[in-house]
Amino acid sequence: MTRPARAFQGVDEGRLELDAVVGVLADRYTVEAGRPRTVRRRRLDTFDRRLRAAGLTLEHHSEPRARRVVLDGADGPSTDAVTGDLRWPAGAEVLRAGRVRDAVAPVAGIRALLVVSDERHSWRQLDLRDADGKTVVRVELDEPLAVVGGAGRVTVRALRGYDEHARRVDRLLTGLGLRPVEAGLAGLAGMPDGDDLADDVPAPVAADAPATALLAAALSGFLAVMRANLPGVLADIDTEFLHDFRVALRRTRSTLRWGREVLPAEFRSEWEPAFAGLGALTTPVRDLDVYLLGLPAMSGWLVAADATDLDSFGRHLTQRRAIARQEMVDGLRSARFRRLLAGWEGALVTLGGRATGTATGTERSTSAGVLGGRVLARASRKVVRDGAAIGAGSPADDLHRLRGRCKELRYALEVFAPVVDPPPSRRVVADLRGLQDVLGRFQDADVQRRALREFAEEMLTSGVPAAALLAMGELIAHLDAEQGKARREFDQAFTRFVRPSGRAPLHRPGGDT
Amino acid sequence: MRIFATYNIKGGVGKTSTAVNLAYLAAREGQRTLLWDLDPQAAATYLFRVRPKVKGGAHGLVTGRRPAESVLKATDFENLDLLPADFSYRNLDLDLDDAKKRTRRLGQLLTGFTADYDVVFLDCPPSISLLSENVLHAADTLLVPLIPAALSLRTFDQLKTFVAESAKPRPEVLAFFSMADRRKRLHREVIEAFDGAAGVATTVIPALSIIEQMAERRAPVPAFAPLSRAALSYEALWAEVRPS
Ligand SMILES: Nc1ncnc2c1ncn2[C@@H]1O[C@H](COP(=O)(O)OP(=O)(O)OP(=O)(O)O)[C@@H](O)[C@H]1O
Ligand SMILES: [Mg+2]
Repeated sequence: MTRPARAFQGVDEGRLELDAVVGVLADRYTVEAGRPRTVRRRRLDTFDRRLRAAGLTLEHHSEPRARRVVLDGADGPSTDAVTGDLRWPAGAEVLRAGRVRDAVAPVAGIRALLVVSDERHSWRQLDLRDADGKTVVRVELDEPLAVVGGAGRVTVRALRGYDEHARRVDRLLTGLGLRPVEAGLAGLAGMPDGDDLADDVPAPVAADAPATALLAAALSGFLAVMRANLPGVLADIDTEFLHDFRVALRRTRSTLRWGREVLPAEFRSEWEPAFAGLGALTTPVRDLDVYLLGLPAMSGWLVAADATDLDSFGRHLTQRRAIARQEMVDGLRSARFRRLLAGWEGALVTLGGRATGTATGTERSTSAGVLGGRVLARASRKVVRDGAAIGAGSPADDLHRLRGRCKELRYALEVFAPVVDPPPSRRVVADLRGLQDVLGRFQDADVQRRALREFAEEMLTSGVPAAALLAMGELIAHLDAEQGKARREFDQAFTRFVRPSGRAPLHRPGGDT
Repeated sequence: MRIFATYNIKGGVGKTSTAVNLAYLAAREGQRTLLWDLDPQAAATYLFRVRPKVKGGAHGLVTGRRPAESVLKATDFENLDLLPADFSYRNLDLDLDDAKKRTRRLGQLLTGFTADYDVVFLDCPPSISLLSENVLHAADTLLVPLIPAALSLRTFDQLKTFVAESAKPRPEVLAFFSMADRRKRLHREVIEAFDGAAGVATTVIPALSIIEQMAERRAPVPAFAPLSRAALSYEALWAEVRPS
C-alpha cells in the first residue's frame, strides 16, 4: 500500500523558505510547479468528530473557479467536484453521489457535518519528475494567508509504486531543517468542539474522598455536556444534539436522586424539580424525532400498503415537531432557563468547594466509596425485586417501571463503579445491557403503538386519505408483534442478569441497606 | 468493477491507443481505473512513462508469489493506475499453463482488485493464445478495433467464432472502426455497410496524426490535446461503452 501523505513544517512555527525547498528538490528532480492558488479550506466534521475518529479528513475547498470536497484517509486522497451551493451544517447526503460521499456518509451517520475550521491558504503543487519525465512524487506547498508569520506546510504525497522517492524527499526536507507534523491539528473555529469535552474529563475521585466531591465532579461533567450541545439544539443542526443533551440531563436527575442522602436539602427541593421541568420541556421534540428517524424503517415493515401511504403521516409528524420545537426553543431561550444554568453552575461550585474545603459535620463523613457501595446495592436490589415480581399476567406498566429501574442502575454504575471495591464485573454490566435492550424494545413498541393511535385520531380530523390510516394500522400490527417478541425474551434476559442463584449481582454480603 | 479488454488477433490496429485513451477518460470522470499492460512490448507502459520493470516478472504474478498490488504504479493522472509489463510477459502463456486453472488465472488475479477499482482495461498483445482465453473469461467487454478493410472483417469473423466457441462466461463483443480514412473508398464503403450493425459501435476513430504523436508526448491524447478531433472521438467512444 502507498505510504500516506506526510506533512512538514518549519521549526518553531517559523515561515517556510519555499525557495529553499524548491531549490533542494530541483537538484534531484525536474520540478514542474503549478500556479499558486488561493484556496479557502473549510474542514468539516460532525460535532462529535466522527470523521477524525475514523482517520478521515474532509475539507471543502473553494477557489474562484473550482469547488470540491477533498477526503483524505488511509486509502489516500479522493476528490469530488462540488456542484451547486453547499451550505454547512448539512448532512452528508448533500454531497454528490460518489466515492467521497460513500466514505463519509456511513461514518457521519445521522450527524450533520459542520465547519470546524475555516482558513484561506496559498496553495501550490509541485510535480517531481524523473529522467523519463514521469511524476514520481507530488509535493504541496501550503501557507495559511491570515496567520501572520503562520506556519506553512509542505506535504509529500507518495505515488503508488514510487514510495522510495517519497522517502527520499522526506530526507531532503528533514535535511533542510523541516520537521514532520501530525496531520489534522488545524485550529478549530466556529462551533464548540464536542470532542474537547473528552479532553477535560475531571480527574478521578478517590474512593475515600467525600461523596459530595464525586457527585460534584459527575454533575459538572453532565452540565458541560448540556452546555456544549445547547447551541446545536437551538440551531437544530441534527437530532443528536438534543439526544445528547437529554442523556446528560437524565444522568443529572438520576445522580441527584442517588445522592440525596449526602446532598444539601435544596438539591432535592429546588434542583430536582427544575431538571424535571427541563425534561418535560424537551421530551416532545425528542419523541417526534424518534418517529421521524424511524420512518424509513417503518415503511420497510409495510406488507400491503405502499411506502408513499406514510407520506401524510410523515408530514403530520413534521408539523407537530415544528410546533413542539418552537415551544422548546422558547423555553431554552428564556431568562428562566439562563438563570437555571447559571444557578446550577454556582451550586456545583459551592458543592465542590464544600467537599474539599472547610465544612465540617456529617455531610462530609460519607465517603464516595461508601455511598457508591450503598447506591449500587440498593439500585440493583430494586431491579431484582421488581423483575422477580413480573409474571405472565403483569401489566405493561410494570415492565416500563422495571426499565426505569434498570436505567437508574446503569447511570449509578457510570458514576459509582470507579469508587467501589471490587468493581462490578463486566459480565454484570453486559447482562444489564441485555436486559435493558429487551425492556427497551418492549416499551418502545408499546409507546409507539399507542402514539400511532393518537396520531391517527389527530390526522382523521384533518381529512387524511384512508390509505395513510391503513398503513399506520399495519405499523401498529408490526409493533404489536415486536412487543410480544420482546415480552417472550424477557424471562431469559432477566434470569441471565440475576445469575447466579437469583442473587442480586451487585449486592454484596454486609452491604449497607 | 467493469473489465474491458482491447483485443484483436491482428497487430497494429489501435488496441493500445484505445486502452490508454479510454482509461484516461474513465479516470478523468472520477472512476478508479486500472490499466493492465499484458503485452511484452510494453507499449502502454511506455506511453505512461513508466519503466518496463516488473519485480518478480509475470511469473511472480501468475504464481501469486508476488501480490499484484506490489507492482502497481500510479500514472501522472489522478485515479489512474498502471500494472506495467516487461519482457518477462513473453512467457506469460507458459506461466499460465503451469497454473492450476490455466484459463481462469487472470480472472482470479483480477478479483483481487474488485474493491480498489471501478474500471479495468486489459491491453492485450495480438494473438490467439492461452492469455486470450484468459482474457475472454475475465473481461466483461471485448473492445475490438477494426481497420475498415475486407481482410480485417474476416479476422473479426474469426474472433467472433473464437468467442462463441469458448466456454462461459463470455464477454460482450463490441467492434469499432479504427484508423478510418474517409478519403479511401474501401473504408467508406465498409463503414457504411456496417452502419447500425449489431456488435459494432457507431463511433469511428479516424486515422489522425495526433494519435501517432502519443508516442513522442508519452501521454493520452485528451491530456495533451483535449479539444482535438482525436480526443473528441475517444470521448464519443467512451460515452458509448462506459458503464452507465
Ligand atoms: N486512429 C489512429 N490514427 C493514426 N494512427 C494511429 C491510430 N491508432 C493507432 N495509431 C498508430 O498506429 C500504431 C499502432 O497503434 P497501437 O499501438 O495502438 O495498436 P496495437 O493494436 O496496440 O498494436 P500492437 O498489436 O502492436 O499492440 C501506433 O503507432 C499508433 O500511434
Ligand atoms: Mg498494443
